[in-house]
Amino acid sequence: MKIELHTVEKYYNRGAHNQVHALRGIDLLIDASETVCIHGPSGSGKSTLLAILGGIIGPTCGSAVIGGKKMARLPDRFLTLYRRQHIGFIFQRFRLIPELSVLENVTLPLLPLGIRPADRKKRGRELLQRLEIDHRKDFPAAEISGGELQRAAVARALINDPSVIIADEPTAHLDTRLSEDFLTIMTDLKRLGKTIIIASHDPLVSASPVVDRCLYLRDGLLCAAS
Amino acid sequence: MAGSYLDRQLNIADYALSGFIRRLGRNSVVVFIFALVIFMVASFSLTTTSLKHSASRLLTTVPDITVQQMSAGRQAALSVTVIEKLDGIFGIRSMEPRVWGYYFDENNGANYTVIGHANFSDKARIAGLGIDFLPALKLDADADPAVLGRGVRENLELGERRTFSLFRPDLSVQSFITVGTFSAETSMVTDDLIIMDLDSARELFGLGPDDITDLLVDVANPLEIDTIADKIGERLAGVRVVTSERIKKTYRVAFGWRSGFGLACLFGAVAAFFIFAWDKASGLTPAQQQEVAILKALGWHTEDVITLRFWESLIISALAFCLGYLGAWMHLLFFDGILFRPLLLGWSVLKPPLSLVPVFSFADLLLIFSLSVLPYLAATVIPAWQSATIRPDSVI
Repeated sequence: MKIELHTVEKYYNRGAHNQVHALRGIDLLIDASETVCIHGPSGSGKSTLLAILGGIIGPTCGSAVIGGKKMARLPDRFLTLYRRQHIGFIFQRFRLIPELSVLENVTLPLLPLGIRPADRKKRGRELLQRLEIDHRKDFPAAEISGGELQRAAVARALINDPSVIIADEPTAHLDTRLSEDFLTIMTDLKRLGKTIIIASHDPLVSASPVVDRCLYLRDGLLCAAS
Repeated sequence: MAGSYLDRQLNIADYALSGFIRRLGRNSVVVFIFALVIFMVASFSLTTTSLKHSASRLLTTVPDITVQQMSAGRQAALSVTVIEKLDGIFGIRSMEPRVWGYYFDENNGANYTVIGHANFSDKARIAGLGIDFLPALKLDADADPAVLGRGVRENLELGERRTFSLFRPDLSVQSFITVGTFSAETSMVTDDLIIMDLDSARELFGLGPDDITDLLVDVANPLEIDTIADKIGERLAGVRVVTSERIKKTYRVAFGWRSGFGLACLFGAVAAFFIFAWDKASGLTPAQQQEVAILKALGWHTEDVITLRFWESLIISALAFCLGYLGAWMHLLFFDGILFRPLLLGWSVLKPPLSLVPVFSFADLLLIFSLSVLPYLAATVIPAWQSATIRPDSVI
């Protein structure tokens, strides 16, 4: 799925004393099946950029055209549908619901789609098997290790078979071995034709062969690309 | 890919149920308090319905018309000769003189209701008050036969004894022999009752040989009761003519007033609970807020989150309703509605040891459901709208 941003601006609390100008005139084109790494210091606007790309928020000005659709004009309801159908999000700290089992967490996006429990579980188990954590499927998310949490978060992001995977600092809390495991999973997904966007400080990620292009973001400005 | 609307609802309901189990400790407190409120309202309502039912069943034996003499606004003795004055009224099937009054038992501080019937043992059978007759004894010439309510029997501490004495107004002693006891099913109206022969009652109350307190009139056609009551009123000066419908209405008003008062008192508890529920639904914990944000980021609509809250509330309220309603039935079946009986039967000096007959009323069930589950759903789902609009970007 092709993603285009044209002079995107994002303000938080615009006009208030605590206004934050998070993104400044971002122009960006990401081709379908491309893997892009966005890196930059904390507070540079990486997460905001991911949220706009993922349809979680809209830009204040400018336009975001994703898969040929102008996202900026879409109401919340359609943004939600867009996320449901096209986006798999891996959040920073993974954001699994600690009391739910791994399998329940993974299948959460399927609930409002009305997919029956047996099908839901089957699909969830297959993904967990693929990511080699099916032995933890009945464990509460609060009781599994960081690497397993990450894999569960990846499984949850893939459960809807999205065309775009967005990962926000996916290796921030992992050791080198687990980070490499994550990049292996991303390589597999790239082979499946997914568009992958990763925001990360981690040089291991930006230097990975899976990444086609690195973008550098500072103070809300896209400064350089490599 | 997307399933049916029903499947979506079932999935969200399933998630709500798992959420209920996850937060079982916290939810149990809410369910317990809510069940307690429903228990109180349902117990009250069931006890009232049961009492009304028992009363209406027993009041089928009330005479069509009761005639009483009034003097200076109070009831006075009536001469039995009035029967002759009413003889010519077409439609009257029969007339019976009766002596009726209260006997105050100083030793026990209790009032007994004494009724003297002409040929009372036959009449008592006809009256359908459920008398358990004791084996016949060779009657003591000085002892008058009487049928006692269970409360009177206990108060007089008769045990296995059959004879007892009461004081006449001149403090001389009048002896009685128990020939039967009223059954427990009729306790509501017979617990404090003593039935005896008309002459025995006259003697006990110091009335003259022709005096009675009431004349009971039986009418052939129930549709003519009011007309005949009017005719009786016209023929006899200074009498009060009471129809059976009026007596039943008095009972209904008495129960209605008491149950209304009780429900008004309980309304405070119900309202307090709904305010608590509203308050709880308005303020989510940080963990709950984060859960909503995660769900929305994963593609849940605001309406899906509200649906989730609806199912959560429905599970809590339905469970509380079942527990509360079941508890109310158990309270009625096994404890005879002991919590609310004193309020509803407060007029009696002897508290009847009622075995209330539970009556299922669909209207009652619907009323309790409407007053509990529906307001709870409203009190929790409406404020949930605010929490469902949490923006998904808070998880980023």
